Amino acid sequence: MEFTHPIIDLHMHSAVSDGTDTPEELLSHVRKAGIRVFSLTDHDAISGCRQVHALLKPGDPHFLFGVEFSCKDAYGKYHILGYGYDPDAASICGVVNAGHMNRLKKLDLRLDRLRTEFGIAFPHADADMLHALPNPGKPHLAKLMVRYGYSETISAAFHTVLNRLHVPDLYTSPEDAIRGIRDAGGVPVLAHPCFGDGDQLILGDALEKRILRLKDAGLLGLEGFYSGFTETLRAQVLAFAEAFDLYVTAGSDFHGGNKLIPLADTGLLPDTPFPDGLQRFLRDMHCL
Amino acid sequence: MNLFPLTGRIDSQNAAKVEAQLMAKLPPEGMPVVLDAAHLDYISSAGLRVLLRIRKTHPDMRIINVNSEIYEILDMTGFTEMITVEKSYRVVSIEGCEEIGHGANGTLYRIDRDNVVKVYRNADALPDIQHEREMARLALILGIPTAISYDVVKVNGSYGSVFELLNARSFAKILSSQPEKFDWCVKEFSVMLRKIHETEVPEGKLPDMKQTALSWAQFLADYLPQHALEKLLRLIEAVPEDHHMIHGDYHTKNLELQNDEVLLIDMDTLAMGHPIFELGSMYNAFIGFSEVDHEAIRRFQGFDFETSKRFWHETLSAYLGTTSATKIREVENKARIVGYTRLIRRGIRRGEVKTERGQAENRLWTQELIDLLETVDTLTFSRNELTIEAVAENLDEVQTFLEERLSETACPPKARMQIGLAVEEIFINIASYAYAPGKGPATVRIEFIPDGVSVTFTDHGIPYDPLKKADPDVTLSAEERNIGGLGVFLTKKLTDDVRYEYRDGQNILTMAKRF
Repeated sequence: MEFTHPIIDLHMHSAVSDGTDTPEELLSHVRKAGIRVFSLTDHDAISGCRQVHALLKPGDPHFLFGVEFSCKDAYGKYHILGYGYDPDAASICGVVNAGHMNRLKKLDLRLDRLRTEFGIAFPHADADMLHALPNPGKPHLAKLMVRYGYSETISAAFHTVLNRLHVPDLYTSPEDAIRGIRDAGGVPVLAHPCFGDGDQLILGDALEKRILRLKDAGLLGLEGFYSGFTETLRAQVLAFAEAFDLYVTAGSDFHGGNKLIPLADTGLLPDTPFPDGLQRFLRDMHCL
Repeated sequence: MNLFPLTGRIDSQNAAKVEAQLMAKLPPEGMPVVLDAAHLDYISSAGLRVLLRIRKTHPDMRIINVNSEIYEILDMTGFTEMITVEKSYRVVSIEGCEEIGHGANGTLYRIDRDNVVKVYRNADALPDIQHEREMARLALILGIPTAISYDVVKVNGSYGSVFELLNARSFAKILSSQPEKFDWCVKEFSVMLRKIHETEVPEGKLPDMKQTALSWAQFLADYLPQHALEKLLRLIEAVPEDHHMIHGDYHTKNLELQNDEVLLIDMDTLAMGHPIFELGSMYNAFIGFSEVDHEAIRRFQGFDFETSKRFWHETLSAYLGTTSATKIREVENKARIVGYTRLIRRGIRRGEVKTERGQAENRLWTQELIDLLETVDTLTFSRNELTIEAVAENLDEVQTFLEERLSETACPPKARMQIGLAVEEIFINIASYAYAPGKGPATVRIEFIPDGVSVTFTDHGIPYDPLKKADPDVTLSAEERNIGGLGVFLTKKLTDDVRYEYRDGQNILTMAKRF
């Protein structure tokens, strides 16, 4: 018996966050790639999902509302994915807005410190432009510093100034993100569990503790198939999902042209039998 | 070659940029790619994902010159199973470093207060290093305290493995500089030896020393008289299978005192087998190598030949748990057979026989071996058995030997005294009658039975059952009594059970005593 499963990709970014494709372009890539189930998971933003949803036509792949929240607490950093939530629910919008407000607050703090401590100031038009960005942060400030001659290079700007500006941490906690997703009827899933927010390496006991802590807070799934996972890492995450009875999801983390990950590159091959946790996820989310 | 350097840090800040730059330069899909990580200091999981993506388009990819920290990350995340990852090796200088040990495959140097490096003689030593690491790990799991190397380095074109050995001193050094610690060294050295030999090794994990010893003996085919060679092979063949551990190179430079802990090092010769094979190598280390040139031991261990001989004998005494010179000599002679077999082969293989000293050694060792083979019937030995000439002067040694064994049991003083009296009667009986008017050996063996011991005397003198003798009439006056008969009577009274049998040309008398 041959297992053939629909191609799925539940983790991708549009230009609403740090991807390069508009939601519309992304939808057309998804169609061409033959993907049957997909989700758009912009960082701390859900407006792209509304756009995709509005563009769907009969016969299109099954679409799940998605989001990827950047979270932090005393234990470390996390990316928490949310799926299938009601996009009009106050709880999920609350998390998105809180995240955005935090970034704006930090932007103001940084601009203030740059001016008072380093004598670095930018024209008003540029400051306004920063505030209008969906996701303003240190990279944007670095570019401005180079443009106005405060630094030779982007990395020097980080090195000599930006990384020394200590602004208070204003982060969404994983508990807040998980609660926001659950209260909107969605399923919170820990993204690339071995990698934290993308730069860490969390394995073995540390990973187990982390998963149990988040499960206590209401986490329901783990991203077991991920483009950046080796066999070894995937096996660890799948084992934890099975042991703790969690959903399993699969995502590429496609960012368009910025990163060279192809769509649907999740490590899941069309003929690999889906693990139980993934079957359950797709069934409970009405994707099958 | 398509060699691409990775430099500095690769993390989420620059991963995309690094990837784009690499991808632009990489050869067409499917072509081999080598990434040079010599100048890569750090890689985060964002960087690992870059490697993974390159591998997808270029499956024939290798990463070379990877430092230990990054190697560990690649190992933990399963990269080393998917792609070829070659470590880079830190270069360590041993110039001016103290030599603290000398093993079969390499030399140990202290590189700083806390670390030592073992430099392998073999130029391509990586498999040896791997082997020793596995051996050390196995020993540690089985409860032998040892040091496990944590890094592989380059030393003058050879490889070395680095161990943490904090503030440690070898037993060779202690013996050379603190003669007052001699007795302590003997005790710890023999305790560790017993511990090694009591350690059971799982099937198939370690080489069988008996096979190794057989190969040494077979090498001597052209160098020993036919009858001697045959006897040698027969003796080794007859050694029973034994699944206990053997260190293989057990001498005072391979035992270290670290703070208060005694550590065994140099594990690459770990094997399993009968302890006689260990004792053979130990004889060589302490005496054999220096038998002709007595200064050799000073160059090797730092102490003199007399100290070495004394240390070997006292170690053997403590190991066997006896002061019986006969017992110690018996085991030593068996060890010498194994030891000489190895030494003769070694001298020939290394071409040392071409030198004057080598010739003298070869002559001595060969003659000793031939002579020993005449006198020995088995290479095995038991701590609980003593074969000694059955003469009255040896009674003390027999008594002491049994006392030593009994002192390891719960035998109360009264029972000990009664056993002593019975043993005296029986041994003197054998000494007086078994071989008269000549002389011959008797074997006394002690066995531990539930709640007591049994002692067996064996001789191959004239068949004679002392128990058949009628019990003496104790009502007679002292002058009228038969002396021998009273001895056997005493034996019967003092012990719980006495039996006699004549089997295979031997008188066998067994007495049991329950405590």
